[in-house]
Formats: sequence, structure tokens, C-alpha cells
Amino acid sequence: CKKYEQTPVDKVDITHIFDPRDSAGVNAQKYLYGVYSVLRNGHNRVGGDYLDAAGDDAISSASGPSNIATILSTASYNSYTIPSDENLFGTYYAGIRQANEFINNIEVVPVLAKYNGYSMKYVWKSEARFLRAMFYFELIKRYGGVPLMGNHVYTISDDISLPRNSFDDCVKYIVSECDAIKDSLLVYPISDPNADSHRPTKGSAMALKARVLLYAASPLFNGGNIDAANNLTGYTNFDATRWAAAAAAAKDVIDLGTYSLLPNFKEVFLTQNNPEILFMRQGGNNTNVETSNGPVGFTAATGKGQTSPTQELVNAFPMANGLPIGDAASGYDSNNPYNNRDPRLTYSIMYNGAQWLNTQIQTFEGGQSKPNGSLQQTKTGYYMRKFMGNFENTNAYSSHSTDWLIMRYADLVLGYAEALNESEGPTTEVYNALISIRKRAGIEAGAGNLYGLTAGMTKEQMRTVIQNERRVELAFEESRYWDIRRWKLAETTMNQQRTGVSIAKVGSTLNYNPINVLTTKFDAPKMYLYPIPYDEVQKNPNMKQNPGW
Amino acid sequence: QNTTVTGKVRDIAGALPGVSVVEKGFPTNGAISDVNGRFSLTLKGQSNIIILRFIGYVNQEVKVSDNKTLDIILQTSTNGLDEVAVVAYGTRKRITSTGAVSSISGSDIRTVPTANVQNTLTGKLPGFFSQQASGQPGKDASDFYIRGVSSLNPAGNQPLIIVDDIEYSYDQLQQINVNEIESISILKDASSTAIYGIKGANGVLVVATRRGKSGAPKFNVRVETGIQQPTKTPKFLDSYNSALLINEARANDGLQPSFTQADLDHFKNNDDPYGHPNVNWYDKIFEKQSYQANANLDIAGGTNALKYFISGGALNQNGLVRDFADPQSLVNTNYYFRRYNFRSNLDLRVNKTLDLRLDVTTRFSDLNQPYNQNAVGEVYNFTKQTPFTSPYLNPNGSYSYAYSSFNPDHLPTLNARLATGGYQHSRRTDFNFLFGGTQKLDALTDGLSLTGRIAYSSIEQYTKQIFNEGIPSYHYDPVTNQYSLRPGGTYVYQNYGLTGNTDMNSNNYNLQLYLNYDRTFGSTHHFSGLMLFNQTANTLYAANLLSGDLVGVPQKFRGFSGRVGYDYKQKYLIDFNVAYNGTDRFAADHRFGIFPAVSVGYNLVKEDFFTKALPIFSLFKLRASYGLVGSDAAPGNRYVYNQVYNQGGGYSFGQSQQGYGTIYEGALGNPNVVWERARKLDIGLDMNLFNDKISVTFDYFHDIRYKQLIKPGSVPLILGVDLPAVNIGKTRNQGFDGQISYHGNIGKFQYNTGLVFSYAKNKILFKDEAAPVYTRLAETGRPIGQQFGYHFLGYYTAADIAAIATYKANSVDGTNKGNPIALPDDGSPVQPGDLRYEDRNGDGVINAFDKGPIGNPNLPNTTLGLSLQGVYKGFSISVLLQGSFNYSFAVVGTGIEPFQSQFQPIHQERWTPETAATANFPRLGFNSTSINSPTAYFSDYWLVNAYYIRLKTIDIGYQLPNKLLPFKISNARVYMSAYNLFTWDNYNKYQQDPEISTNTAGDAYINQRVINLGIQLGF
Repeated sequence: CKKYEQTPVDKVDITHIFDPRDSAGVNAQKYLYGVYSVLRNGHNRVGGDYLDAAGDDAISSASGPSNIATILSTASYNSYTIPSDENLFGTYYAGIRQANEFINNIEVVPVLAKYNGYSMKYVWKSEARFLRAMFYFELIKRYGGVPLMGNHVYTISDDISLPRNSFDDCVKYIVSECDAIKDSLLVYPISDPNADSHRPTKGSAMALKARVLLYAASPLFNGGNIDAANNLTGYTNFDATRWAAAAAAAKDVIDLGTYSLLPNFKEVFLTQNNPEILFMRQGGNNTNVETSNGPVGFTAATGKGQTSPTQELVNAFPMANGLPIGDAASGYDSNNPYNNRDPRLTYSIMYNGAQWLNTQIQTFEGGQSKPNGSLQQTKTGYYMRKFMGNFENTNAYSSHSTDWLIMRYADLVLGYAEALNESEGPTTEVYNALISIRKRAGIEAGAGNLYGLTAGMTKEQMRTVIQNERRVELAFEESRYWDIRRWKLAETTMNQQRTGVSIAKVGSTLNYNPINVLTTKFDAPKMYLYPIPYDEVQKNPNMKQNPGW
Repeated sequence: QNTTVTGKVRDIAGALPGVSVVEKGFPTNGAISDVNGRFSLTLKGQSNIIILRFIGYVNQEVKVSDNKTLDIILQTSTNGLDEVAVVAYGTRKRITSTGAVSSISGSDIRTVPTANVQNTLTGKLPGFFSQQASGQPGKDASDFYIRGVSSLNPAGNQPLIIVDDIEYSYDQLQQINVNEIESISILKDASSTAIYGIKGANGVLVVATRRGKSGAPKFNVRVETGIQQPTKTPKFLDSYNSALLINEARANDGLQPSFTQADLDHFKNNDDPYGHPNVNWYDKIFEKQSYQANANLDIAGGTNALKYFISGGALNQNGLVRDFADPQSLVNTNYYFRRYNFRSNLDLRVNKTLDLRLDVTTRFSDLNQPYNQNAVGEVYNFTKQTPFTSPYLNPNGSYSYAYSSFNPDHLPTLNARLATGGYQHSRRTDFNFLFGGTQKLDALTDGLSLTGRIAYSSIEQYTKQIFNEGIPSYHYDPVTNQYSLRPGGTYVYQNYGLTGNTDMNSNNYNLQLYLNYDRTFGSTHHFSGLMLFNQTANTLYAANLLSGDLVGVPQKFRGFSGRVGYDYKQKYLIDFNVAYNGTDRFAADHRFGIFPAVSVGYNLVKEDFFTKALPIFSLFKLRASYGLVGSDAAPGNRYVYNQVYNQGGGYSFGQSQQGYGTIYEGALGNPNVVWERARKLDIGLDMNLFNDKISVTFDYFHDIRYKQLIKPGSVPLILGVDLPAVNIGKTRNQGFDGQISYHGNIGKFQYNTGLVFSYAKNKILFKDEAAPVYTRLAETGRPIGQQFGYHFLGYYTAADIAAIATYKANSVDGTNKGNPIALPDDGSPVQPGDLRYEDRNGDGVINAFDKGPIGNPNLPNTTLGLSLQGVYKGFSISVLLQGSFNYSFAVVGTGIEPFQSQFQPIHQERWTPETAATANFPRLGFNSTSINSPTAYFSDYWLVNAYYIRLKTIDIGYQLPNKLLPFKISNARVYMSAYNLFTWDNYNKYQQDPEISTNTAGDAYINQRVINLGIQLGF
């Protein structure tokens, strides 16, 4: 008799996914989407916090030592206890494997749709290679050199005691992948953004290359290797041409001419498919950012105030005239500390008196959004504002796009400025790059159209300016956490008190008192790289642990 | 003149039909008791002694005196030589059995007042281990294991359950009405389980249901009703004492007190019930006791052609929550369980050689619980209930809400939510059908028969939920006399919402065909044999119960088994068993496995030299068995050999943010997967001494379980995909179990006492784990379920804290590195009175590397049962003391931790500078993840190495004299029975039942003590 349902029919095997009869490539495409979903969405990603709450820009409002951001920022982990949301070694290798399966098998699917005269499947294949390169980049910034799997899909009977490849090999591999695929990807602007805005473009691949080269040229890997002769943790020598290569790669993207800074800083994160986005991970239409990070004290618009930006970050924002607050000419008034600041401060951080939900936020002690008591609320006197919709003059939150921007043009321009400054010094082109960012931010042009920059800075002065500019422009975007590592600043900045402000309201007068909120800790040099997960080293005799762990 | 003796035979439960009555010295002069237990026998000799024999009962000799109408009570026995145990596809007598089998008759467990069969077996069967983790009506079935656990697979330790030769699931077993059960046996060694092959590795529990006997219809009615109470009633501190502790905890953390002296005075004087409430929520929410009732009616009888047993039963168990009926919403949200059982077992003799049977059973059950409220857990939960949370009701009768600053959710009070929050109601229907026939084939050769059976079972379960989250509640301010609405609350009741779904829909069919052979040649050579074909297919649709890949596709199993037995004059016994079983979980060429077993027995009492030397023995049998059994349970994908790709979703793409399906790779397939196997050795001894007064059974066992299906732990993550189960795990399980019983009498008081003991200890021999940092962290070499945690050294003293500060100041890097007085690695500060743990690796910090094995696994490895039964005239008493030893558990979270749990008396024994020497609890503090938290720092401070002894069951009855009985009632007995009546345990840290699972917060429905009154009538 006929046999029914011998195995689960809702489960398919690989021949159904890569099906020589499937001219639309439906299942193959679904498989590719599975690879996409390995990309992390950075909003409140790490135990409910932004990764930057584990750096010097913010702390978590959640209490307790089991908070992941706190564990990371107080050096409370080892190779055995590295917190799950930053223990992504296995996650990315799963992504690499899935990408490899796609790359190896897509050939048999006779996809009829065409792009540039070739079957669409070659675009998909390049997308898988792009994602794979992205996963490797995520691995090397955490661990240094990691095993390169090539296109190989291992099975359980294979020997997978693979050794780590050198950092140099990994960088070369990612760069060569980006070079190889860039011309077969879609190009921006995408013809059907409704369907395809999430897909990597030629610009994405080139920007990834620029970013990898920027990291590779940075002190942590280039000249400041924490284990000088160890080619797994970085280069064993210093080579200034690496900065030049990074600058050139960034310049290539700029020269495409298709990307630009969006005039309105806030809208970068809210407008889909805008020309500033180089690559993003879709986040959906919702109010998640607001409900997690919005200020407490509003009944119609609940917020949990998860992220408490630090005073250090607030102080990094210059005045509206572009001068740092420490500059005597800046006009900074410590009794009205938020007046006349760089507009990005208001766009990134909610401070006492900031407009929100038709009110002025009260973060003075006992105020509406800092009632004290056991409710989770800001610990620093500040809430995060960035990424949120325009709810200054509404009573409630409404859904908006919450895409997570993995690479954006401003970041690339700043990377270009940084690399160029290191390779050629503070040239006009470096100044212009910075000015473009500051101008868009809304800083006043000022004397000589320098937007608050000092003319004739040295390379070192310019380096400091660029580093600060990255901090304020890219706050909460998972940039600073890695920047202070690749610049080798973490041993200084993370071994300090994190501070906030306690505002006492006496009558109508506000008194601003600095308070210590957390003692962060950084164990240099070992913590510049994460430990390889303990089990991996035990299971694989060829897997060398990072120094110090 | 020959005397004619008349009399009536009964046991403690009533009249016994079918008892053989024989005159001593005249084995052919006998009679059989009728359906009312009556018999009549004319004596031929002069001894004036009659002997009564009945299978499953102790033989009794009765001297016939002048009073010729006798009233004889037979005692049940589990040690008679001719006692018959129902085992795999047949029956076995104790004298010729070579396997390790323990049995109990239904009448021994029928009066235990619990809804679940498995709960009645605790302490009564050697080798039976059980743990009852909840007392919630309808969810209170024990987990049980035969001879402990030996598989690293959690699913691989469940015994096979066979009811009337058909496989049942765990939850089908608990639906069976105990009244329908004739006997229960557990099969423990390879020879008795090999015939099942599949799952035999975990032992087999065999249930036989009652069947009709020839005779006039015999009606039996049993009605009982009683009360249930928690075995432990948790006590919580009142507002005043809680407030004192809260202020102390805040002071410890350097904070201002939460309560002023005026607050404390109000709490103490109870003079401001609305401004300063003081509510004992446990008392307000829960009854002291709840009600249960159970009624059964069965009719048995028949003729030679048709025998029947028909039974119906109804059970009702109420929950402990009070009745909060609210006129606004008349729904029953309380916990309750109702079950209705029906069974009809028919035997039809078609002709001299063909017997047919038809068994039909249905069970309907209703299980109710409050919607989305765990009332039991919540009453422990400090963040939801404190004595000063709110008043029970406002002065105007409206509901209040939790307005205390310690209750951030500000929920309406628990009584408000229980009254109007809705319920979750599950209805379940079980249906079982068995049709079979046995054709005698004596025409071919004597002793041969062929049996065929087809069985079908189905389960359907639906759940309906009604819920209402908008409950009006107000805070009443006694100062202003104002009511303020709960923030975000509603002024009027919302309409009830309604959801419902099918939870489970399963059906199972089973086909069996077997040839049975049993013949004795010349009264010396006895042969028996069995050839069996068995096939099942099980289809299950279950919502949220099982992993997706189990849903809807039949699981198939096919087996061929055979058995050949031989004994010579019942002296030398040998038995071969073999099963050839296949399962669809494995690849076609690895599907079938062969599971052979052999057992031998030597009945020394059949040897003349032995009986001459040791005449006190009426039974002395040595037996041994060795064999292979298997299991196909494996973690992960059901088709272990197959790699499947799973469909996912939830990722949106493109500017339109459209959700797209994804497909991702599932765990790799393992084409080489084969059966998990166990090599089982059992050596046993059966003895009866002093005219069968003393009976002893002892078994030693040694099992090696190998090729266990576990996910390998030593494959690096760079493989990038989940792994399939592979045949690599290996464990050993050994121990002993047995039973010693004695029966005797003092005058007319007959008694019988027994000790049942079980010990099983296992060890992981190989688990394929990545070598841990320190060997003490390895699971290999330790028992399954070993708990790991920190070792408690004492409380930090002020001197310790000073020493740490000095050490830090003098150290090179300002840290505590290397200090023998270690600090927690997360940097949280410690104070005097905090728990100080051993820094096992000596690095000055306490972190995961300092953990080690602590305590025992959660499942006891030793269990004892001591029973005593006595009968005096119409009175009978039966008592069972049961104890479990060598296990460990800890309660965490809301069950114990300050500011997670309501304050309990144990918190008053906290460490303070004054009570440092006698403290039983660490310093109070707010930090929920400090070193004092059992959740964050699991340690032997929190783990109790527990044991308990329970007065598990007691049954006292009185048989009304027949002459008092009206109408046609032939038998009437009134009784009182109790379950879990008293418990002795060795801890006072936790207000939880000793059978609770480890690491449970305070949300387990505490096990119940039941006291029942019942009456049984027969006519």
C-alpha cells in the first residue's frame, strides 16, 4: 500500500532548498534570509542594554552585578563566564557555515530573474559572501585572528581542530572578498527599495573594506599589538601604509558619489533607505527604543529608562559654536550647562529641561523622571534620546522605523579623516571631512568657516579632535566601545569613575552636582581582545587562547 | 458423624469468592467459596482442620470448633509460592520466576486516598523511586523511576508502562482509576524486560486490570470523602516584624529606613488598617483545608460463556483557594480537578478453544486553575505581596491595589484578581479500546495457543481561558478619606476575553500477535515458549508540549520477541529471551536491534539434602540474569539520522518591512545512530522460612548503560551547526533492593509486617564534555544530576573585612588577588554577616571556577517502606511509613530570598552582630544578586542534604457484622484512610514539602495531606 508521511513533510532537506527545478529560487532565497538573520540588531542588544553602556559613554540603569553591560564594563568576566550576548563566537561561525552552504549550493538553482544580464543568483551569492565577510569582521574585532573556513562546510566526521589564522590573513581575506564581490552586488540607489533596501550594495562592500582596513591600521593591531610577536593578535610590526590603504578605501566610497550626509541628523535613523545608510539590519516598525530607553514618569508613554548616558559623554559635546566646553571662549555656563550646545546633544541625550512628550523633562532629584525609590530610572541624570522618533510634542509614542545602521556615511567620512590624518597629517582634506560632519550637525560656521575647529592643528591635536567627533557623532552606535579598544585608550578611560549629575532643585534654582555612578575597570592589556570561549580551547587543541586569559 | 462446616471468607476489603477450602489430610475433599465468600464442606477425617488457599493471600489453617459457622479473614500476601505476577504477555509464579519482579495487588493500594496510581506505589515496591513535586489537583502525579536513573538523556529514564499488555504514556497512567486495577508489577532486570526491547532499559511497570469471575453479579460500591491540607503551611511575618527587618536591611546597605517610628507603632498596634495595613495574605487567600470525594461502583460476575467487569468512578478534588465569588463576575477560578472513569472488561468464551476479550475504557477529566495567576507562588512573592501591600478590601467594599513602594507593578490585590481575573480550564478525554482473542491450538500440539490483539487509544485535550485584566481597584487614603484609582486602571469591569485551543490530540494503535506454549512432560520437564509480533504507531499533535518535529507524524515501532523457558521439576530453571526491535527514529539499516537475555534459577528446597539440612526453609531460590536491553530516546530531532532544515520567520526585509520566511539548517544528521543499550546483571535470592511466615527477597543489580544517545560536548563551535545525538555516553548504575516480610498472629489478632528497601547509585563513566578548568567541575565520574556550587566556610567577620582592606592596601595592584579571604569576582562589596565561600583555586576571588560538587542529586538514592497490617475480628489497620534518603534540594528566589520572598520566620534568624554565633541566615540586604543570593551564588549553605520519613498511608477499617446488614448487603466496611499524615524531615530553612524539586522558587503547590472517610458495600 502507499505510505504516507514517512518523515515530517514540513521539514525539508537540502535538495528542497537548492532545487534544480525552482526557477524562482524561493527556498534558496529563504535560506539566504536565514543568513541575514544572523546579523545582530544593536538596539538594546546586550542583556537589554546598548553595547555602549559597557563603555564610557553610558551605564545601564538596571542594577546588579548580573547586568551584562556592567559585567563587561567592570572586567567581571573570564573565558568561562563571558556574558552570552557578547559571546558571539558560535553565532558568527553558525552564520559563516550557513553562508558557505549557500555559496556552495546556489549554483544548481536555475534562477530566471536577471540582474545586469546575469542570473539573480549571482547577486545572492555575493550577498552571502558579503555577510560572511561581515561575520569575520565581527569576529576579528573581538578575538583577533580566527580560523578561516574558506568555502568548506564541515561535517561531524571531519577533523575540525582548525588552528587560528593570523590577523593579517583574516584582514586580507575579508578585503579580498569585498573586492571580489563589489561589482556583482546591487548598487545604490536600489531600484526597488520597498523590497531590497536591506541588501548590501557595492557601496556596502567597499565600506566594509574601508572599515576593516581602518581597524587593521589602528594602534591595537598596527604597532601596539598586545603580544608583540603574536601574529594572531595583530600585526607584528608597524606599517604606516596601512593607514594610507584605509584612507584610500574610504576615498573610493566617497568617490562613488552616490552617498551623502542627510541634512537632518535625527532623520538619519528614522528615514529608510536614505543616502547616508551604507548597510543596515532591519529593525521593524515599533516603539521598542522608546519603551526600553524612554524616560520614566509618563503614564501614556511608558519608558524604562534603560540607558543612562554619562556626564563624560555629555561633556564631549562641544558648544553650538563648535568649541569644546573647556575652552574659555566657548561660552559654557556651568549653571546652565545645556544651553547653546552642539544640537547633537539634544538629539542624542535627554537632559533636565529637554523637551519631550509635551513637557520639559525633569531629572532633578524627585522630579517626574527621577522619582528615586525602587523603580528603574536614570542613574546619571540623563536619558538616551538618539534613535527615537520625534516625540517632543506628542503625548504618546507611535511606531517608526527602528533599523539598526551597521555602517553609515558619516562614520566612513570620519574614518577617512582619521586614516588620512595618520598617513598624511591634518591636511585640508581632513579639515573638510570634519567640517562636513559638523556642518550637518548644525554647528555654527564661525570665523573662517572652520565650524569651531582650530586652524593649523598638529597631527596629534587633530587626532584628539577626530576621536571626540566620532564619540559624539556615533554615540550608542556600537562604535565607541570598539574605538577605545583599537586606539588603546580603554586602559585609561575605562579605569575611571563614570559620573553623572545630581540636580537639586531649590525653589526655581537648579544646582548641578557631579556624582560618581560606577567604577569601571579594564584589565590591560588582556582585555583589548576577548578571550576565546574556554570550551573552544579545551575542545580544539590547535585553538590558541588570547594572551592573559 | 461427619461434621459439616460452613463459613464465610473475606479479606479486609470484603467477601472473597473463589477461595479453595480443603480438609487437612484429605486433599481431594474441598470446596470453593461462592460469590459472597460462603462455603460449606463436610469433613471426612478427625483432624477438624481446614486449609484455605487463595492466590495472593496467605494460606490459613483453621481449627473447626463447635461454632461451625466460621468467619475467616485471609491476609494478602506478596510472598506466596504460587503468587502469580502478571509479566510480559503472561504470568509467572514466584516459585518458577527467574527475573527480578515485584508486585502488589490492587486491593493493597485501593484505599490510598490519592488520584494517581503512581502515588500509591511509593514505599511499597522494592526498586521503585518516586518524587511528587506538586500537590495541585490534577497535576500531582509523582515522577517515578525503576532502580533510579541511568541515562544521561532526561527523556531516556522513563520506565515503559504497560497496561493490559498495551503501552501507556506517563500521563495516561495517572488517569487510571485505582479501583480498576487487579495488580501492578515492576520488572527490573534484563530477563523480565528483554521481551519489550524498546525502553526496557528503564524497567517496565505492568498494570493488569480487574476482570470478571464466574458467578452471580457482585456489586461493589465505595464512597469516600475527605479533606486535603498542605503538608506544610507557610508562615509569614506580620507588618511590624517585616518592617523592622526592612529597616535593618536598609541600614545594612547604608540607606535611610523605609519606615518611621510612627509607621512601626501603627503596625505594632494595628490601629490604622487602611493607612498601615497588616494582612496575612496566606490566610486571606487560602483555606485551611479543601474537600475531596471519590465514588466507585463496579459490577463483576459472569457465566462460563461470558464474564464481565464493569466499573464507573468519579473523583472530585477541590483546590485550596478560598471562594472569592464576586457578584460582578460569577466564575469559578479556583483550582480543582474532576475525573470520571468508565471501564468494561468482557471475556467471551466462544467455544472450547476460542476466547475473546473486549475492553473499553474512557476517562474524562476537568482541570481548572486561575488564569495567569499562580496564587501559590504569588503569596510568597515579596514584590507582589507584603503584609502592608494594601488592605484586603477598602472600607467601601471596593478592591484595593498594591500601593506599597515595594510592589512596583501596583497590581490589584490577589483576592481581586482571583475573584474576577478568569480561569484556565482544560478538558481531556481518554479513550482506550482493546479487542483480542486467544485460540487454543492443542489440536496441533498440547499447550499451544495463538493470541491476537488490536488496541487503540486516543487523547484529546482542549483548554479554554477566560481572562479579565481590567479590574477596578482603588487606594483609600484614611487621612483625606479619598479614593484614588489604580494608575492605568479602569473604573468599570472590562468584558471577559476568551481564548481556547486544542492542546493535545493523540492516537495510538497497537497490533500484537503471539504464540504461547506451555507444557509439562511427565511432570518433570516443563517447557514454555512465546513468539511475539508487536507493532505500534503513535500520532501526536501537541501544542507547546513537544518540539515541533514531533507533531503530527506517526512514531512507529515494530518488534519480534521470543522466549523459551525450561525447568526440571521446578528445581533447575532457565529462561532465554530475545527481542528484535525496530524504531523509525534511526536510519533504515540501523533500525533494528537484538536484545537477548538469559536467566537461571536454582530452587534449593527441591533438593533433598537441602531440606534435610535446613528444614526451616519452604523456599530457597537463587537466581541470576544477564542481558541486553535498549532505548531509542534521544535529544533533539526525532529522526536522529536525518538532517532537516527548519522554517523560521520574524525577520522583515526591505523598506516595506515585510516579514519573510527563513529557512535554517537544523542539527546535523547522524546516519550511524543505533540503539542506546544497557547490559544488566541481576543476582537475586528468594527465601521463605518458618512455614512461609517470613519471606525474603533480595536483588543485587549492576547495569552498564552504554552507547547512550547524547549530544557530543567536545566538538568546537566553529563547526557552526547544532549537533545530533551520537552513541557515546556511558553510565553505571548499581545497587540492591528487596523486601522482608513477616506474618503471624497473637490470638485472634493477625498481623503482617514488611520492610521494603531500595538503593541505587549511578555514576557517569563518559559524557564527552570539554575538559573543564578544574577536574572537580567535571560531571564525568559523578552521579547523574550532581549539583555544583560553592562551599560555605562561615560568615564574613569584621576582622575578615579589615584583613581584606589591609591586604588590598599592601598588594601591588590594589586588588585582593591571592588573599585567602576571597571576595566575589563581580566586585560587589561584602560586609560582616555575608556568606563566605571557599576560594578553591586560591585566586582571591569567588567565581565560577570555585564551584564544585555539592550535596547529592535531587533524586533520592535510598528509599524505605515499612508496612504493618493487622486484623482483629472486624477491625483492620494498615500503616505505611515511607522514607527517602540521600538527596539534596534548595529553594531559591521567591521561596527564600529576602525582598523576593515575603519575610518568613527564618529571616528573623538572620545574622546580626549580636546573633553572629547562632545565625541561620545571612545578613539582610537589598542586593538581589549579592553573594548571599542562592540564585546568584548557589552553594551548600542553601542546599539541604535531606531525608524525610512519612506516615505515608494509614487505613483503619471496621467490617460490619453480617447479621447487622439490611437488605441483600453481604459486605459492609467503614474506614478512615489518610495520606501523608505526618512528615518528619531534617530542615527548617524552607517552608516547602521535602519532595520539592531542587532550585524551585516558592511557587510549588505544596503536597497535600489527605484524610478520608469511606464506606464500602457489597451485594
